[in-house]
Amino acid sequence: MHEEIAEFSLKKAQELGCKYVEVRAEERISNGFVLKNGNLEISGFDINNGIGIRYLVNNNIGFVSFNNFDRKNIIQILKKSISTTKNSSRISKDIYFSDEKQEKADYKINQKEKIKDATEDRKIKILKEIDNEISKLPQRYLSLGDEVAEKYYINSEGSRVHSMIPRVSFMYFITINKNKKSIQKYFTHGACSGYESIKKWNLEKKIPEQVSILENNLANGVKSPKEKMDLIIGSEVTGIAVHESVGHPYEADRILGREAAQAGESFINIKMINTKIASSIVNVVEDPTMENSYGYYLYDDEGVKAGKKYLIKKGMVNEFLHNRETAFELKMKSNGCSRANNYDVEPIIRMSNTYVEAGNSSEEEIIKETKKGIYMKSYMQWNIDDKRYNQRYTGSEAYLIEKGEIKKPVFAPIMEITTPKLWSSIDMVGKKIGMYVGNCGKGEPMQGIPVYFGGPVMRLNNIMVK
Amino acid sequence: MESIIHYISKELKKKAMDDVVVAMYEKEGKQLKFVDNKVVKTGYELASNISIFCSKDKKIIYTSLKDISKSRADELIKKVKEFSKDLPQNNDYYGIAKGPFKYKTKVDYDKKIMDINESDMLEKGINKALEDSKRVSGNLEVWHLKTHLVTSNDVDAVDYSSNLYFSIRAFNEKDESGHMTCCSNTLRNFSIEKTSERAAEIATLAKNPKEIKSGKYPVILSHMAFAPLLNNISDAASMYNVESGFSFLKELNRSYGNFTLEDDATLPNGFNSCRFDEEGVPTEKTKIIENGILKTYLHNTSTAKKYKTRTTANAGLIAPRSFNIVFDCKKGDIFDVKEGIYITNVWYTRFQNYATGDFSTIPRDGAFLVKNGKIVQSLKGLRISDNMINLLKNIKCCNKKVLQIKSWEAETPAFTSEVLINDVNITKPEH
Repeated sequence: MHEEIAEFSLKKAQELGCKYVEVRAEERISNGFVLKNGNLEISGFDINNGIGIRYLVNNNIGFVSFNNFDRKNIIQILKKSISTTKNSSRISKDIYFSDEKQEKADYKINQKEKIKDATEDRKIKILKEIDNEISKLPQRYLSLGDEVAEKYYINSEGSRVHSMIPRVSFMYFITINKNKKSIQKYFTHGACSGYESIKKWNLEKKIPEQVSILENNLANGVKSPKEKMDLIIGSEVTGIAVHESVGHPYEADRILGREAAQAGESFINIKMINTKIASSIVNVVEDPTMENSYGYYLYDDEGVKAGKKYLIKKGMVNEFLHNRETAFELKMKSNGCSRANNYDVEPIIRMSNTYVEAGNSSEEEIIKETKKGIYMKSYMQWNIDDKRYNQRYTGSEAYLIEKGEIKKPVFAPIMEITTPKLWSSIDMVGKKIGMYVGNCGKGEPMQGIPVYFGGPVMRLNNIMVK
Repeated sequence: MESIIHYISKELKKKAMDDVVVAMYEKEGKQLKFVDNKVVKTGYELASNISIFCSKDKKIIYTSLKDISKSRADELIKKVKEFSKDLPQNNDYYGIAKGPFKYKTKVDYDKKIMDINESDMLEKGINKALEDSKRVSGNLEVWHLKTHLVTSNDVDAVDYSSNLYFSIRAFNEKDESGHMTCCSNTLRNFSIEKTSERAAEIATLAKNPKEIKSGKYPVILSHMAFAPLLNNISDAASMYNVESGFSFLKELNRSYGNFTLEDDATLPNGFNSCRFDEEGVPTEKTKIIENGILKTYLHNTSTAKKYKTRTTANAGLIAPRSFNIVFDCKKGDIFDVKEGIYITNVWYTRFQNYATGDFSTIPRDGAFLVKNGKIVQSLKGLRISDNMINLLKNIKCCNKKVLQIKSWEAETPAFTSEVLINDVNITKPEH
């Protein structure tokens, strides 16, 4: 880590006229392995380190990054960057940050089975053993990766935050063929932890189970009746829906238009706080502090302490995701949602771990109380418009429900629905929460960032299923 | 004096590696991000990165060096040696290209590109768009890249590129927006004002959008809307994706309609044009699909040897990839429809099944109902929910105006016209 260089850079940026400066020195040590159709296609390791500096000069934001730590070089780069910012000043917006508490912290996640002690041999064995269980499939794409990210964040207001976050992930993509039909499934597991998480995921058992389920769907799945009925969605579908149609439209930078050109804006506006958006049994939480979660952090990339917050409370719009810029614009404090996926990009508002809170019904009760419907347990295809209003989820594992009982599998049922309709149609919420891993894209340049999303099984009352 | 990449290559060979490919990328870049007519962030980046690929007894290791010094290189070389010990062989690996090569491709290049006054340039673009729209947001980027490639098979080559990219989205009232991008290697072909004008023109046309019935329509895809789908097709042509299940292009010599799709890294004005691929093979023009017939997949030396063909100079050392996509088909009047839909942009293309080609994508910005060849109504709330093979087979014609499009959704630049596609399935959400 280049902590001294970070301090040097901060001091130099101030000397060059920046009234606010924040510096992130980062080092990410990673390993990755890909097993394609049983063959070890890629194996590699990487050490990615560098420094990113964001500053305010004449109330305009500049961002500069580099990975050459020579001090003379740093001064030259800072001068060039500040000159670019000043040159654009006449067409720039004045930016202000909310006042926030100075933070001093040092935190890390303890690993029971340390990433640095996991041998290449062990990692390859994990992949090979899973592959052996599903070797009958013609196309199998398995990937295992790990990373230890060390970060030293400092700003000119005195904050100093050091963190060390390990992360492991496993992804599979499989193709199942039967009777000239095929079905595909893509799924990722992930955690901020050491290799102990691999055992918890129980991959050697779960993946062959998933293959059997999809084979059954492929062989026996019927077409979805195209009509209005109750739709039960599994935790996996709840997760993607809450991420796409609650998390994203509640990002204050979208609401205020900062991502308008690419990631888009939001159908939500600032006047909608405390207005009805969902059934009163719906509560949506965003919480970066969940232990070992894939989107874990305790301090964001503006040095603001993170915490649990309710985006929707009893069906009402409750709170947006903020950084210091949007918080200032709306005359409030930041709630610590600013993140960058690497040292060389600016921090922007991101989700972390987003979920629907548990309700009162068991999965069995929800099924039993459904006279006619479909249970979409998982999905493959999904998308949503750039205002987060018009969305579509196509089922992967799905079943017909008749008179409170699960019947035949259904092949690729579709929910295509607006956000208000989706969240106001919920009439039953399950007791048990499942969480799922994603890599969320946003920003220019594009930043993919680890997120976690989920919730319980939920029932949508009387909606169109195709 | 020996360069760091020659040193790394030599030392890895000393450690008994069979194939070694070392590439150094030196990039300098600037960015202006603007929102509601004002710059909200300036960016400046200076980065060097060395990527290293090596094989030992068919064991493959891929790594990189960012903190560039001899001592760090020595640590990395030691680690490569240790890392390779426990690896199993990659039975699908068949080696890298044998050089040396002569390079003929000449790409438009301006070494002074970093000296432009990007603020003046952007201001002109913003002002032009504001003549016909209320607010604009977007991104202007300029960068310079030097690539130096050395391999253990006698390649030692250098390439330089200069790049300009501009993206602008113009807004009027609610749901009335237009988006356009432009990209170029030099200032000569980089027209910010025309791009801004087009974005504003679409936003103006998009007045008072309404919903339309679901169903099958003839659909006209603009340059911006078609380029992301062309990216999906060229991705499906990579042999790596074919083997992995990420491809609907199943069989060589099968017909996929009546159009021609090339990858061409030799175009002087191609945004991703370059002299050589990632293993040093001179770049070339490759007809992937000719008159609808799938002629070849995209290969590097290793995948080509596996399938007993020749490399198409599309390394990616792991996964072959396209550089610049070029589309062409029969010319015609794309607005010659009784009732159709003109779509100016799409985003969020996702596949239910890559192998069958079942997918959906969401039109964004201006979309229009066309009746008897004329735009009669602005539309919203659409989705294309169809199959990629059906879509390709239903391509009817294209117009003559070819643009090079690169965007968030079209990472690989595509030279394309606007196209008319028959019987496209349009769906809409339940409210």
